[in-house]
Amino acid sequence: MTASSDPAVIQTRGLSKRYRKVTALSDATITVPEGRVSALIGPNGAGKTTLLRLLVGLARPTSGDVAVLGSRPSQSPAFLADIGFLAQEIPLYRRFTAKDHIGIGAHLNSRWDGGSVVRRLESLGIPLGQKVGTLSGGQRAQLALSLTLAKRPRLLLLDEPVAALDPLARRQFLAHLAEAVADDGLTVVLSSHLIADMERVCDHLILLAASQVQLCGDIDTLLAEHEILVGPRKDTAAIERDHTVVQAVHTVRQTTLLIRRGGPVTDPAFEAADVGLEELVLAYMGQQAGPMPPHLTSIGGER
Amino acid sequence: MTWLVWRQHRNQAYVAAVGLALLAVLLLITGRQMASQYDSALASCSPSHSCGNLANVLTLGTPAMYLLVTLTVVVPCLLGLFWGGPLVAREIESGTSQFAWMQGVTRGRWLTAQVGWVMLAAAACGGTVSALVTWWSSPENALKHQNFQPGQFDIQGIVPIGYALFAVALGITAGTLLRRTLPALAVTLVVFTLLRLVIGQDLRARYMTALTKTFGFVHPPALPAGSYWIVSTAVVGPGGQVVSSPSHSSGPGITFGGVSVPVNSMPSTCRTLLFQSPIRFGSCLAAHGYRALIRYQPAGRYWTFQGIETGIYVLLAAALLAVTAIVVIRRDA
Repeated sequence: MTASSDPAVIQTRGLSKRYRKVTALSDATITVPEGRVSALIGPNGAGKTTLLRLLVGLARPTSGDVAVLGSRPSQSPAFLADIGFLAQEIPLYRRFTAKDHIGIGAHLNSRWDGGSVVRRLESLGIPLGQKVGTLSGGQRAQLALSLTLAKRPRLLLLDEPVAALDPLARRQFLAHLAEAVADDGLTVVLSSHLIADMERVCDHLILLAASQVQLCGDIDTLLAEHEILVGPRKDTAAIERDHTVVQAVHTVRQTTLLIRRGGPVTDPAFEAADVGLEELVLAYMGQQAGPMPPHLTSIGGER
Repeated sequence: MTWLVWRQHRNQAYVAAVGLALLAVLLLITGRQMASQYDSALASCSPSHSCGNLANVLTLGTPAMYLLVTLTVVVPCLLGLFWGGPLVAREIESGTSQFAWMQGVTRGRWLTAQVGWVMLAAAACGGTVSALVTWWSSPENALKHQNFQPGQFDIQGIVPIGYALFAVALGITAGTLLRRTLPALAVTLVVFTLLRLVIGQDLRARYMTALTKTFGFVHPPALPAGSYWIVSTAVVGPGGQVVSSPSHSSGPGITFGGVSVPVNSMPSTCRTLLFQSPIRFGSCLAAHGYRALIRYQPAGRYWTFQGIETGIYVLLAAALLAVTAIVVIRRDA
């Protein structure tokens, strides 16, 4: 675990993006310290892509501040050189070969490690001279990641990189990524709508739901801050006074609370338990989706 | 960037090069034949001083070749559709703009290289076609003095370069604004065609004030020299009044020195002569005080008009590209 005093690679304050009448991102304030591998999690349409595009300068914010690697995202060569971005649809020139793409990178970047792409593709058995349009989705994703890494970026942002991949390709891709992170110590943000994919490689979490940031921080810290309380069914007003209740599930006899601790839990009637990452993420997403229907709550509560 | 531009567009360049080469071979072969045909006709008529009538008796080339040469008028539009329209639109459509614009070059530099090379290629392509057509048409120009006429003016000289630059700029801009290739092609086709029609049929005649000339119905008519362009014609009656505009005349028609004569409005004594001899019909009209009137742009203004028209299209192209640059650099990708 890296120290919490690491300088921030990404820092936004009140960042918002509106498209005509639709608010894609609202008042997002996040910090990603250097060296983190951050999972940007949220349901589809939560604003993940918008946030990433604002961070890399492909879109401009409607309001708010954003600093990436200490400067405002811009089209300057210095900024572009430090950023590696892989868009969701894995945009590559379908009629070009992998070799052509390596050539493009070599001609368009001042810092470029084409050899690393060749080595990576050869080790994966991906043909260099075949048109990209004829490669499989997994091969394309691997190529795109290799090309993005060949820029030797300081910050890598990947938008749903494994969404379209089968489990094997998914594992290879994440292994490739983990290797690159270990070698270069770069900062990574990768988005997904599933936390399960990300849990093994990420140590930082940004949770988006309904265009708003729900959580942002190191995963260990977030897990330590939250707790599950199980106790007899009773009024929770006392607990809500000291802690933030993220999710409350009531059955006839029992109450289960997921809280963000505001201090030590003193009520002896409640039994405390550690919270898992998936549980935490689902609780925050559920909070945004509105209260669960009563019949579902009662089924879930029969322990 | 040059490497990328070439890699992306080399197939289009090959197609264009093959097309140009085919056109060049056809025009060079037939053009040489026409030139020697014209030269020998000139050589045989000059001893007898009968060359004045050469335009009526000598036919150069084949209809198929004239059709082909006339069809070169669509070359600029094709360049706009195939080169201009997809340039930015296809990148946006396929998402590759997010790849290209996240490499180490700025969007401004990317656009400058892409647009610069494509515009240069368009000018070269339009210029080459026009140079071939102009050379091929030179015997015909000398024979019939028609290079100022609408249709011929549009495929010779330097205006095709202006059209090509404008068409490509229009395609690029439409693609940038619409973000999709097919609608951009439709807009390019419609806007380019309409603008060419409006400028060619309406505006061009007013680049400079037309000169007026009247002449009697005597043979041969006292017409201006060289490749002048008649903008409008009329028949003026004995009192100086315009008899009737030719477009509204009905009944049998006859033209004299490019002026159509509304036969039914002419004195009946002359009309009876029409079918005996057009020349006697003409002298009858002259005797009654009728004269032909033309408003025309003299041959000496040909290159001025070419320059003005090219300038208009180049300026429009520059304005469109400025819009494209602003949109590509400032708008969300």
